[in-house]
Amino acid sequence: MGIVGGAMTIARFRVEGDLVEGWRDIYRDRLQEHAFRDPPVEMGTEEVEGWVEVHNLLDAEFDDFNKWLYNNVALFALRVDKKRLPAKLFKATLEKKCQAWAAERGIERVPAAVRSELKDELEQEWLKRTLPAVSVTEAAWSVDGRYCILHSLSEGMADRFRKRFFRTFGLTLVPWSPLDFVSDKAGRVDSLLSCAPSPVRLGGAEVRLSQGRS
Amino acid sequence: MADEAEGLPVLPHIAGEFYAWLWWSSETNGAHFELGEPVGSVELWVDERLAFRNPDDTKVTAVMTGDNPAATLEAKAALAGGKVLQELRVGLRRDDREFLFTLKGPSMHLQALKLPQVVDEGGEEVLFERMHLYEEVVFVLGGLFASFSELRTTSRWVDEVLPGLHDWVLGEDSES
Repeated sequence: MGIVGGAMTIARFRVEGDLVEGWRDIYRDRLQEHAFRDPPVEMGTEEVEGWVEVHNLLDAEFDDFNKWLYNNVALFALRVDKKRLPAKLFKATLEKKCQAWAAERGIERVPAAVRSELKDELEQEWLKRTLPAVSVTEAAWSVDGRYCILHSLSEGMADRFRKRFFRTFGLTLVPWSPLDFVSDKAGRVDSLLSCAPSPVRLGGAEVRLSQGRS
Repeated sequence: MADEAEGLPVLPHIAGEFYAWLWWSSETNGAHFELGEPVGSVELWVDERLAFRNPDDTKVTAVMTGDNPAATLEAKAALAGGKVLQELRVGLRRDDREFLFTLKGPSMHLQALKLPQVVDEGGEEVLFERMHLYEEVVFVLGGLFASFSELRTTSRWVDEVLPGLHDWVLGEDSES
């Protein structure tokens, strides 16, 4: 499910800032520059992110406009990879390794420095054979319409997306407000801003659902 | 006025009141909304989900789902009990196109938006059509919100709408 098919779940942003002259070529290069790049196998637990095409998360080349620019709607996705180790299993395995190390040497306690070294070794070993968790969030940017929609309602994802969008295009994504619906109507926004919650409550003490309640 | 980078503020009570107004208007007008030009007339009805929160909280505390939950006593009782609508799943018809979506939270995000399938195949065509239909939903919502805000910012809100809402919640005939 997403922007290209199925049900849509949409956060909307206004795009603020001036488009650069010849934006098609320039934004293609910027997307390419900030595209997802496969991290080395031994990547740690840090997150790796970048732009990919919406049709396949393994396609991160934007040379061909036909694959991401439809009229003046740019379609791309933010891919975020993160490796996670199973914490309890990792801790138990480390404990066993420490016990084995101590038994070999006939001592009871493993020095902190050695423990740390064993931990790093185990982590590297496991990370090499761990596949990352991959998230892909689609976005469509209507360049003419000066808005962008993100197929996610997660605030964390929205923040991440806005930062990367700014780093890529130099344009600011401003979260859309319902008040934007009436921003072209003189005085309407200010009038709504001055509206306190309705003085007559629909519920609580103001209404009676039955004789027994006041 | 708000900082340009942050945009216009989001007013939680306005969203809750807008959802309640949509629900009430839909039931009292037989789902018909005459929005004038350029939007025209549309039909809107509450579909299979309403979610409420307490006025001072952001978490949903009561959810009504299933077949026509808007008609249940529990749904109106939630409003009568002082709860605020946080999510409203609605159906929308404009001309021969029918949409389903959930309006979610103070920002009125669109969740689980189902579009009419106008074009079956052709990657580019489908995308154009979907973007066009999404924009149509936003366009109609803009018309609905403009109508609501026009009422909300005048004395008609207090003189006409709130008494009507009050009577409707209690199941009273406003003419009586």
